[in-house]
Amino acid sequence: MAMRRQTAVLTALLSPVTLFLGVFFLLPLLIIAVFSFLTPGLYGGVEWAFYPWNYGRIFGWADGIMEIYEPIYLQIMARSLGFAAMTVVLCLLLCYPVAFWVSRLPARWRLLFLFLITLPFFSSLIVRLYAWLLILKPSGLLNTVLLGIGVISEPLEILYTPAAVVLGMVYVMVPFMFLPLFSSIDNLDRALVEASMDLGATRFQTFIKVILPQTLPGILGGAVIVFIPSVGNFIVPDVLGGAKGLMIGNLVEQQFLSARNWPFGSALSMIVMAVVLTVLLTSITFAKRKGGQNA
Amino acid sequence: MRNPIGWAALTAFSLGFFLFIYAPLLVIIGYSFNSNPVNMMIWEHFTLDWYRGLLGLAERVSDNNNRAAYIESTDQMFKALRISLTVAGCTTAISTVIGTATAIALSRYKFAAKGFYNGFLMLPMMMPDIVLGIGLLIFFVTIGMQLSLLTIIIGHCTFLTSYVFIIVQARIAGLDPALEEASADLGASEWLTLRKVLLPQLAPGILGGALLAFVISMDDLVITYFVAGTDSTTLPVFIFGMVRRGVKPEINAIATMMIVASVIIAALGLWLRSRKTD
Repeated sequence: MAMRRQTAVLTALLSPVTLFLGVFFLLPLLIIAVFSFLTPGLYGGVEWAFYPWNYGRIFGWADGIMEIYEPIYLQIMARSLGFAAMTVVLCLLLCYPVAFWVSRLPARWRLLFLFLITLPFFSSLIVRLYAWLLILKPSGLLNTVLLGIGVISEPLEILYTPAAVVLGMVYVMVPFMFLPLFSSIDNLDRALVEASMDLGATRFQTFIKVILPQTLPGILGGAVIVFIPSVGNFIVPDVLGGAKGLMIGNLVEQQFLSARNWPFGSALSMIVMAVVLTVLLTSITFAKRKGGQNA
Repeated sequence: MRNPIGWAALTAFSLGFFLFIYAPLLVIIGYSFNSNPVNMMIWEHFTLDWYRGLLGLAERVSDNNNRAAYIESTDQMFKALRISLTVAGCTTAISTVIGTATAIALSRYKFAAKGFYNGFLMLPMMMPDIVLGIGLLIFFVTIGMQLSLLTIIIGHCTFLTSYVFIIVQARIAGLDPALEEASADLGASEWLTLRKVLLPQLAPGILGGALLAFVISMDDLVITYFVAGTDSTTLPVFIFGMVRRGVKPEINAIATMMIVASVIIAALGLWLRSRKTD
């Protein structure tokens, strides 16, 4: 490798990113952490005084005078985790067989279907969600069709329910699961699969003992990539979810743009950040341990 | 998969999956041509009225108040589109330069903090956009910076730099360093080798990174939503506002045009990639 020692050129190449991300990425994250311990001002601002009750409102040590502990925040956090986990599982169940199918297609068809799966990356998120609004609303396409063919007699109420939120998240996240999954399924050592079958293992045994462990990196990668944007999502629940579909992202947004309690909003987003960092670090540790075993 | 029934079932499932992905988009496109203004789920007859209204071809002065409101929103829409293109253009330029420089530094030089940078550059991509959005909002307000086009551009560059970095770095990994070594051995300075040997080889990767940055910037909703000033609404934020106020036939027409635009861009990207391998 053409590895060179530290020089003026290296400094020139590296300083833009250091300055830019230092000022506009690290500093803002640090400011959220600081704000989450500040006193909310009366008219939307902040007072620069230490205030532990932003977290107290969430976790239960509120003083009961200035701030009151409400279990609803933890419930919404738990719900957000649940929705994100369901999104991961559903994306996985949908993508795994399809990735398998695409990897077994002749080259030309493979390219076509891989193109079709990446195409949604290029189309607008809000447009894709709007489509589901059209389909799911009480007088929408789904109900019109189902009523028309007589499957149901009353319109289904799917829009503004948790089911609609999870459906919407699965829809927008599915390509993110597909690609890492596909690359690990495509790299599957077919000789091992055949050997397993020849040695008398059933299809199910082969899947559990041979295929699944080999594709685990793809499953893990896809799960992390889908889980992280899902847990802090606020656009999907905003468009498709009602009060019962509210997620932590919506709470954060409300604190910043309507309730104007920035310190409390900061405390809520610190929790989102903590969840994300935990998931990331866990997956990295896990991947390293796996890699160590194989080596 | 030698079992034909199993294969047929798998094929059916997979085709159903692609139907699930594409049917909603086809629904929008279909209804954008439906003339029924009250209930767009009931097909009346084919019309181009919604497109005419959007493109400002409908009569501007009308006795119908609703019409007037739509036409006003047309002007807003074009303004939002202009802002989106400006933001995406500037963002692409800045993040491509910074991201490429970073990728070269991390692939071609040895230094102590290298591992740190490699991990650190993943963070802006993995950080949920809402956290980044509110962080930037507090930051800009605290330092007294007016929310404007500039704040949107800064917001987009914070995470798109990492995307460009990843793509260009992957490209560098596939290059043969012998060419640069030869250039250095023949007496070229570091800058010269960089400009005349490394950058030309990297061009396809840089172009790919730039295209991705442009597309993501055009589509970004969450960060823009928090750091956009009242006078700097981008197209996704504009549509989000319309969708929040309810379903309207105009949205179908805007959405259809955006779907068509995205297909064209994606096809362009594919074509560029296939040309590179020739």
